[in-house]
Amino acid sequence: MSLKILSVLVGLFSFFLVIELVRREKLTFKYAFGWLFIALLAVFFSIFDRTLEGMAHWLGFELVSNFIFFVLLCFFVFLSILLTTFLCEQDSRNDAMAQKIGILEMELKEFKERIEGKDG
Amino acid sequence: MLQKKVLIIVPAYNEEDRIKKTVEEILSTGIAAKVLVINDGSRDDTAKKAKSSGAHVISLPFNTGIGGAVQTGFRYAFENDFDIACQVDGDGQHDVSYIGALIKPILENESDMVIGSRFVPPFMGYQSSFVRKIGINFFSHLISFLCSVKITDPTSGFRAYNKKMIHIFSQSYPADFPEPEAIMIARLYGARVKEIPVEMRKRQTGHSSIRYLATLYYMIKVTFAILLNLLKGKKSNAATTYVRST
Repeated sequence: MSLKILSVLVGLFSFFLVIELVRREKLTFKYAFGWLFIALLAVFFSIFDRTLEGMAHWLGFELVSNFIFFVLLCFFVFLSILLTTFLCEQDSRNDAMAQKIGILEMELKEFKERIEGKDG
Repeated sequence: MLQKKVLIIVPAYNEEDRIKKTVEEILSTGIAAKVLVINDGSRDDTAKKAKSSGAHVISLPFNTGIGGAVQTGFRYAFENDFDIACQVDGDGQHDVSYIGALIKPILENESDMVIGSRFVPPFMGYQSSFVRKIGINFFSHLISFLCSVKITDPTSGFRAYNKKMIHIFSQSYPADFPEPEAIMIARLYGARVKEIPVEMRKRQTGHSSIRYLATLYYMIKVTFAILLNLLKGKKSNAATTYVRST
């Protein structure tokens, strides 16, 4: 029973932590939403652990803990791939920005030189 | 024939020893072109030396790699309505007296993209190292096979592009292994790619990005990158309308 309480608490803690992070503007809703959903899912399965057991056995896992580890592993692999795509997206946006800045800077300098040339 | 606007893109990273000479050599060819050095986040005086030798200089705030630097040139060419972009390395490896020959097929509308090759007769003067030659040979066959056009020097960065290619590459240019990948992308857009014989010197400063021991690893990576490009499928010609995006 105490294990059940502990896992519900961990789920609720994660849920409120994410909400607090959004409130403090450390996380945007776009990224927080997935975590809130997972936290609620964790709370749900902590309370209705029979569902989890049923699923594990139906899929052929002898131990429920193995099933949980397997699901978590899959989740983190998927998350890593997702994060890598965000990273690549940020990277190419960063490069595009650098290119734009470089072009603008040169144009600005040349423009200034032209104006100074006219004034002088 | 109306005078075509030509931009010569010179990507340079820490090339303070060579950039002045490269720019001066380009200017001395007498080609009516704007020389644009892309200083790719160099930590030395590349930008200052390029500017003092008469080039226009775009300095990127940090190093973006050769692909990012060259794409900056394409962006500038596109935004300023250039008809032809010619890419020349800043390290002095390319013999700039061939720029005229490089842009000729584009002026005559024979090609969309022209590559200066070291391995097309009659010159074949430049001999690279044995390992490097194996790599070049391998990619030459792979790309020739995949693109159904004979390419002998896929890693050559001595190139010329027409307006259609400027538009395409200003929007997206490969960052990982830009030279061989750009050929693949050009072919996916149905571009006419041609090689012309040029002479090249041995690299005078800097280090080749293809190191001996890393050749095999490099070959595997580039092969993957090339094959992944193939999976992107044929591109539409929507990007060839020359409408400038805002």
